[in-house]
Amino acid sequence: MIAVHNVSKEFPGVRALDEVSFNVKRGEVHGLVGENGAGKSTIVKILSGIYTDYDGEILVNGNPIAFHSVRDAQDSGIATVFQELSVVKDLNVAENIFLGREPLKRGGIIDRTLMNQRTLEVMEFLDEPMPVNEMVGNLSVASQQIVEICKALVTNPKVIIMDEPTSSLTEKEVAQLYKIIGQLRDRGVTIIYVSHKLAEIFTICDSITVFRDGKHIDTVPTTETDSEKIIQMMVGRTLKMLFPPRSVKPSDEVLLAVHDISRSGEFENVSFDLKRGEILGFAGLIGAGRSELAKAIFGATRLSSGELEINGSGGKRFNHPREAFQNGISYLPEDRKGEGLLLQASIKENMTLAILKKLKLSKTRSERRERRLVKKYAEDLQVKMVSIDQIIEMLSGGNQQKVIVARLLMTESSVYIFDEPTRGIDVGAKYEIYKIMNELTEQGKGIIFISSELPEVLGVSDRIACMREGQLVRIFSQADANPEAIMRVLAGGDA
Amino acid sequence: MEGISLERRKFRLPISMVGLILFNVLLFIGLSILSPTFLTLRNMRSLMVRMSELAMLTFAQTLVLINGGMDLTVGSAMALSGTIAGMLFKVGAHPVIAVLGALVTGIVIGTLNGFLVVHLKIDSFIATVATNSILRSVVYLLLRGRVLSGFPKNYVLLGSVNLLGIPLLFVLVIVFAIILHFFLRKTALGRSVYAVGANINCAHISGIDTNFVKYFVFVASGLLSAIGGVFYTIRIGAMIPDAGLNSPLEVVTAALIGGASVKGGKGSIFGSLLGILAMYVLINGFNLLGFNPFWEVVLLGIVLITIVGQSSMKKVVKMSRASRRGRAA
Amino acid sequence: MRTKNRLQRLIQVRELPLLAFIVLLIIFFSITIKGFMTVQNFAMISRQITTVGIVSIGMTLVLVTGGIDLSVGAILSFAINIGGLLIIRGLPIAITYPFILLLGAIMGTINGLLIVWLKVPAIIVTLGTMNIFRGAIMIITRGKYMTQIPDGYLWIGSGYTPFVIFVILLVIFEFTLRRTRFGRNIVAIGSNEQSALYSGVPVNWFKILVYLLSGIFSALAGIIFIGRSGFIQPQAGIGYEMNSIAAVVIGGTSIYGGSGTIIGTFLGSFLMGLILAGITMLAVNAYWQGVINGLLIILAISFDTLRQMRRE
Repeated sequence: MIAVHNVSKEFPGVRALDEVSFNVKRGEVHGLVGENGAGKSTIVKILSGIYTDYDGEILVNGNPIAFHSVRDAQDSGIATVFQELSVVKDLNVAENIFLGREPLKRGGIIDRTLMNQRTLEVMEFLDEPMPVNEMVGNLSVASQQIVEICKALVTNPKVIIMDEPTSSLTEKEVAQLYKIIGQLRDRGVTIIYVSHKLAEIFTICDSITVFRDGKHIDTVPTTETDSEKIIQMMVGRTLKMLFPPRSVKPSDEVLLAVHDISRSGEFENVSFDLKRGEILGFAGLIGAGRSELAKAIFGATRLSSGELEINGSGGKRFNHPREAFQNGISYLPEDRKGEGLLLQASIKENMTLAILKKLKLSKTRSERRERRLVKKYAEDLQVKMVSIDQIIEMLSGGNQQKVIVARLLMTESSVYIFDEPTRGIDVGAKYEIYKIMNELTEQGKGIIFISSELPEVLGVSDRIACMREGQLVRIFSQADANPEAIMRVLAGGDA
Repeated sequence: MEGISLERRKFRLPISMVGLILFNVLLFIGLSILSPTFLTLRNMRSLMVRMSELAMLTFAQTLVLINGGMDLTVGSAMALSGTIAGMLFKVGAHPVIAVLGALVTGIVIGTLNGFLVVHLKIDSFIATVATNSILRSVVYLLLRGRVLSGFPKNYVLLGSVNLLGIPLLFVLVIVFAIILHFFLRKTALGRSVYAVGANINCAHISGIDTNFVKYFVFVASGLLSAIGGVFYTIRIGAMIPDAGLNSPLEVVTAALIGGASVKGGKGSIFGSLLGILAMYVLINGFNLLGFNPFWEVVLLGIVLITIVGQSSMKKVVKMSRASRRGRAA
Repeated sequence: MRTKNRLQRLIQVRELPLLAFIVLLIIFFSITIKGFMTVQNFAMISRQITTVGIVSIGMTLVLVTGGIDLSVGAILSFAINIGGLLIIRGLPIAITYPFILLLGAIMGTINGLLIVWLKVPAIIVTLGTMNIFRGAIMIITRGKYMTQIPDGYLWIGSGYTPFVIFVILLVIFEFTLRRTRFGRNIVAIGSNEQSALYSGVPVNWFKILVYLLSGIFSALAGIIFIGRSGFIQPQAGIGYEMNSIAAVVIGGTSIYGGSGTIIGTFLGSFLMGLILAGITMLAVNAYWQGVINGLLIILAISFDTLRQMRRE
C-alpha cells in the first residue's frame, strides 16, 4: 500500500530521518514506535503532507507521490489525526469536521442540512453521537479528539495516520478508539498507529515498525515478537548502559516534606518526602497531574490546601516561583519552548535569568563576572556552542536543555524538580542529563524527576511515586519496582 | 583565542544598528551638500530642540515594546501632563510644583494603564486605545478646546538655554537615554523587562515578578511621556489641545525602525533615538530642500514595512537555505 | 423542547446585555431629554453612525481573522481625494463611484499582499501603509479642499439613504459570516490558523480578500462622507481606525481573532452614536464622548474576560 523508500529529512543541526525505508500493507494496523526524537513525528509529517521538502521516494499503490499540502495528501487518500489538537474551538462540531470541504449551495453558502446529516453519518459508530451544533471549544478534550478522528474519516481515506491518539483519552475512551480502529480495519482502511505506549501497540497492531535516532530499525509482525525485543530495538542497548551508575545512596535526612497538598481539579491530598541525595521518580500517564503538582510545589500556581516542610521548617506555601528559589527549590519546566527559553536571546541571557538580582549588574566589572560564570557552567555541562552570545534557538534540544539546567544550578538550590528533562533530546544528551542528576545527588541535593518514559524512571530513580488521576497512589522502592507492577498501578489496577 | 573573540564581541553592534547609523550619517552628508542651511549651528539647534519631546515619548514606547506591549497613550499623556502644569502655573504655583504636578499626572496615567493590562488582563493595545480616548477628552475638557498659554517667561526661556553650545532640552534627552540604556542593560529589573517581553511564562518560572515588571514599564512610560509634556510646554510656551495626537504611531514607527519588535523582547534606547533622529532629519531636510514635507511620511511608511519585512524575509530565506542544504547532503 | 433550546441559546448570546444597555440608555435619554424620542433624532443618529459603521464591518472581518487594519481612515481619504480629482473635472458618477471603490480595493489588496507575502504583522503593515497613503494624499492634492461637488453626489449622504445602505451591508455580511464557506473559514483562520491551513482552507487568499473588502468598505464610507459633508478634505477619515476598532470591540469581537459578529458591531456603532447624540442634546460638553467611549471599551472587554473565565 505505502512504500517508503530511502527517505531522509534534515533540520538545521539535526538529521531527523536517515535513509528510512519500510512498507505498510493494505488493510493492516501498522504500529510505529520509537523513543522521543526517533523520527516518528517527522515521517508522519511527511506522509501527511506537512513537510514537502525531503529526500527519497514514497510510493502509494506503486505510484510515486509528492504531496504539496495536507489537502493534497487527503485527496490521495491519506488522512491524519494529529498529535496536537488541531480543532478550531470557535467552530461547531460539524463545521470542524467539514472545515475546508464544506458542502456548498449556490453562492458559496454552506448547505447546513447536508453537512449536519453527513456529520451524523460519520459519527454513526459512536455509542453516543455528539451534538453537531455544539462549539468544539465547549467539549471535553477527549470529545475534541473524537472530532479530529471524524474529521479524518470524512475524507473517506484509504489510510489513516494516528499520531499518539490516546495521549489525552481516558481508558474507557481508549477502548472506544480501539473499537473504531477495528471497524475501520474491517472496512479495509489501512491504519498507521504512532505511539510510544507498547501495551497499546501490542493490543491493536498487526505489525510494528521501530525507529531509533532517525533510522528505521526493523518492521516485524506483532505475532513474531514481544515487548522485550521491541524495547531493545527502541533503545538499542541494554538498560544498564543507558543509565550512568550511582555512587552514593540517599541519606535519611528529609530535605522536602510535602503534607497533604491539593489543588482543586488537578490533584488531591498528595504527601511524600524527598531525602538528601535522593532521586524520587514520578511516573504516571499524561494527565495524571504530575506537572501540575510540580508547578504548585514550585509556586508557579497556587495550592488550595496543604503545606510544605523544607529542611525541617514547616508551614510553607509559595505564591510565586521567586519564593521557591529563595527556599532552595528550583524547577525545570516540561514545555521547553513555551516556558523554558527566551528563544531569541543569547545563551548568556538565558542562563542567568533566575539570578539577575544576585549578579549585582550595576556594580563595576559585573559584565566580566557574568560572562565568567556563564562560561564556567557551560563548560561544566559541556554545552556545545560557538560562544555564550549565540542565540539559543540555534542550539540542539539537548544543549538548550543543558542551558536551562545551568540556570537552575546557578540558583544553588537544594531541591531540583525536573519535569520531563529528556523530552525531545537525543540519546547522548539524555545520558549527560542523567549524569548531571547523579552529580547533584552526590552533592547532597534532592531531585524530583518526572518522566513519561517508564524505562527512564526505573533506571534513574531511588524510589518511584505513581500518580493516577490526581492521586499519589503508591510509592515503590527500587527493589520492588518493575515495569509490569508500575503499569498496573498507573493504568488503574491494584494499588 | 576564543576568549579574545568573545571579549571583542561585546563591542559589536547589531547589523541593523550599523545600517541605521550609516543611514543617518549619509543623510547628514547628503543634506549638508544639498542645502547650505542644513549644517548651520542654528538649524542643528532647532532640530535638537524640536525632537526633544518626541524623543522622550519614543523612549517611553520603546520600554513598553521591549516588554511585549504597546502604549498608545504616550501622546495624550504628554498633552495632559503639560495641561496640568499649565493650569498649575495659572493659579500661581511655583515652577517646581507645576512640573511635579505634570510628573505625577504621568505616573497616575501609567498606573491606570498598568492596572488595565495587569489586573483586568486587557491587551495593552486595546486598553490604551481606550485610555487614550479618555485622556484626550479630558485634555479637551480641561482646555475647553482652546490653547492654554501663560507659561512663565523664565520657564519658557529654558528652551533656548544652551549647555556647551547644545540646547539644554537635548542634553536632557541624551542624559535620559544614557540612564535608560544603563537601566536596561545593567539592572536586574531592566533585564527582566526584556525577559518578560521575550517569553512571559519563562520569566515567571524563572522567578521574575512579571506583574510588577509590567506595572513598572507602564508607569515609566507615563512618567517619560509627562517629561515629554514638560519639554513640549517649554519649547512651545503653550499647550495645544491636539498636541501629540499622532505621536503614538509616530514613535512606534521610530522604535520599530530602531530595532524594536511588536512581538516584544527586542529593542534598544539608542536604536530608538537613531530612529527618531532619522525621522526629524528627514523632515528638516525635506523642508530645507523645499520638498513637500509629506514625502517624509510616505518614506517612513515604506522604510517601516521594508525594514520589518526584510528581517522576516531573512528568516524565511535562512530556513529554506538550511533545508536545501539538507537535501544536498 | 426545540423552542426551549432556542431560548437558551438566545440567552447565551453575547449581544443581549449590549442590547439591554442600549434600551436602558434610550429610556434614560427619552426621560431626561425632551425631543429625544423623535423620528428626526433617530434619523440623525442613523446618518451619523453610517460612515464609521460601514468601515467597522470591514474591520470586523479583519479582526475575526486575527488581523488589524490601521489604514482604513487613510484609505477612505485617499480614495475620495484622488476620486475627487475626477469629480471636480465633472466626470459622471457612473465613472467616479466605481473608480473610488476600485482605489479602495487596490489599497486593501496591497495591505493583504504585504501581510501574506512579507509575513509581517498586520499592525505594522497597515501602520506603514497608513503613513504612505496619508502622505500621498497631501503630496497629490497639496492639502487643498475640494468644495465644488456637484449636487448629484449629495443624494447618497442625505435622508435615509446612508442608513439603508448600511443596513443592507449589515444583513449581507452577517449572513456571509454565519452561513458561507468564506465566513466560516475566516473564523477558522482567526481561531487556529494552522488547523485551517491543514484542512485545506485557502488561508492566504482569504486573508487578502478580507483586507480587500476592508478597503472597499472604507472607500464606500468615503463616498457617503462626500455626500454628507458636501466637500472633500485631505483630513477626512482621521481617527476612523480607532473609532471603528472601538465599535467592533464593544460589539464583542475579540481582537485575538476567531470570534465576532456583524450584529454586535452594529450595536457597538449604534451605542456610540446614541451616546454622542445624548450628550449633545443634554448640552453636556461633547468632549465627554471620548471618555465614555474609552470606558465602554474597558467595560465591554472586562465583561468578555469575565464571561470567558466563567466558561472555563
